[in-house]
Amino acid sequence: MEPRNRISNKALKVWRVSGIIRAAICWIITIAVLVVTILFDWSYWAIGAAGIISIVVTYISVFLFPSMKWKRWRYEVREKEIEIQSGLFIIKRTLVPMIRVQHVETNQGPLLRKYQLASVEISTAATTHEIPALELSEADELRFYISKMASVEEDDV
Amino acid sequence: MFEPKRLHPVAVLSSILQTLKEAIIPLIVLLFLGSSSGKSIQFIIFGVICFFLIIRSFLSWLKLTYWVEDGELRIESGVFIRKKRYIRFERIHSIDVSEGIVQRIFGLVQLKVETAGANDGKPEAELTAITKQESNEIVAIFNEVKARKKKLDFERVNEADAFEELIKEEEMDSASIVFKQTFPQLFLMAATSGGIGVVLSGAVAFLAQFDELIPFKKISAEAERFIQSGVLLIILTVLLLFILAYLIATARIVFIYAYFTVRKVEEELIISRGLLEKRQLTIPLKKIQGIRISENLIRQPLGYASVYLEYAGGSALDKDTVNVLLFPLVNKEQLKEKINQFVPGYELQTGMKGLPKRSYIRYFIRQLFIIIPVIAFISWFIWPWGLTSFTLIPITAIWAYLIFREGGWNISGNQLQLRTRVVSKHTYIFQKNRLQVFDRRVSYFQRRRQLCTIAATVKSGAGPREGKLIDLEQKDAEFINDWFSYSESKKSEG
Repeated sequence: MEPRNRISNKALKVWRVSGIIRAAICWIITIAVLVVTILFDWSYWAIGAAGIISIVVTYISVFLFPSMKWKRWRYEVREKEIEIQSGLFIIKRTLVPMIRVQHVETNQGPLLRKYQLASVEISTAATTHEIPALELSEADELRFYISKMASVEEDDV
Repeated sequence: MFEPKRLHPVAVLSSILQTLKEAIIPLIVLLFLGSSSGKSIQFIIFGVICFFLIIRSFLSWLKLTYWVEDGELRIESGVFIRKKRYIRFERIHSIDVSEGIVQRIFGLVQLKVETAGANDGKPEAELTAITKQESNEIVAIFNEVKARKKKLDFERVNEADAFEELIKEEEMDSASIVFKQTFPQLFLMAATSGGIGVVLSGAVAFLAQFDELIPFKKISAEAERFIQSGVLLIILTVLLLFILAYLIATARIVFIYAYFTVRKVEEELIISRGLLEKRQLTIPLKKIQGIRISENLIRQPLGYASVYLEYAGGSALDKDTVNVLLFPLVNKEQLKEKINQFVPGYELQTGMKGLPKRSYIRYFIRQLFIIIPVIAFISWFIWPWGLTSFTLIPITAIWAYLIFREGGWNISGNQLQLRTRVVSKHTYIFQKNRLQVFDRRVSYFQRRRQLCTIAATVKSGAGPREGKLIDLEQKDAEFINDWFSYSESKKSEG
């Protein structure tokens, strides 16, 4: 039984956009290498390598990783604990008891804001855990719910 | 005491030394690296830095005053930004009195005050140099307040059994439990500490800093002659240097851990140690998050282990509070009893469930990843003799087996025990109500073999401490996960 809820569909878009940004940086470097190669008459293997790297990076960060990541990402908030599943090649499932949660916050970067998404960050005394992209209303609800449940019991850390 | 007072002027000196100690490596780099022509500029920069350091230390000493008023320890400090810190004695958790070398020379002490509140890192207040008499007065006030608070608590719960409990508690107090490390134990501990690594890497770093200064070319010419004069001599010299480094390392540990004493007073552990620098650390039992038993490669065959506490408190910068030694060296036969005595509730279990046979191959492959580049490197550079390094592979297989064999877990009641080996063997004892999070990790290859990696995290110092066990049976991982899960109805099934 995997955790029940998936993150927002739009997360895929957000990750693709940030992947495109990353790939764009790669391509800018490639173009710079191309220009330098032509100007100084370097051998062509450098530009070849840069081109291949750029293509691979583009494929991985725009197509492959976002969809893999999205498929893996799941979470479930129960009455007494939160379960989060994430990972690309190694699937990690984390169990965070409610009574260990010290605070919850929602964050919204410019990219997330554009798609009306927010990430939820859950902090214990020693660790922090993030659910990366939820619908804004869902994130707010979750933050409210977790902070309400978390304040039920207080244990000495 | 009740009048605002300054620290002893020695505080200026100790503050300068403290800053120098922290900045020693950048300063050495500044002084000795770079072109030799620009040396004078470097010395000027160095001088200016020192000058400002002295001025700053002096001013902050001048501006820091402390006194006791209205049941509060009041400290005002700050040159440009005034900072007033008033700490109620009721809120103080512990006061630690320690003596650095500088303080010892002048017969002074250093006082650290920690409060119960969640403090991010730093101790609440620090008085770096005060006379012993003043320190005793502050501690006396603190103890008095504590005693009064306890009495109040008792009056509030005025029941017969509570009274009995108090009497019992007081009886316990008078016979507080003490662990004292004897000198033979101290030397054994120092000799088996593996601290030589620290000294050797320190020496290498030091030499690296000086490589501008030491005329390596001249030396290498000399070295050639030296090599010609005999391999035996070289071996002897290396051996001698090694022994020297070993002795320094051992002496260092002896100085740090001399007079190691743990006292259990009521609900606190008071750990004190040190020959030149006396340190004291007070740990409330309820702040202990877990226990780590560590056996390095030398101590394990001798039947000794050291025991660390994972302790939520203290500062992130203070190495002492991140790695709190409870017992530097203890006989394995006494381990269970000693732990139970000092940290009640933690029961060392002997029966551990091991890893499934099929995970051995993964342990072996992981070790191969480390060793194969080494073999390749040696074979490439010392062809063909380097090929003999392939004998490392069977050795690796045995080493991997040793690591694999130590992996294990145990759950008894509220307690999770994990055992792993990286180089040293570590046994973690955690209690469910102290665990922050628990996670299971499965890679593609692990899933095919139905294996799983688990990690349990507690708070230690200001950060996390993770007890990890790689490649255990997936069913076992689920079992431990269910044990940790707080939901009764929604146990995970897969």
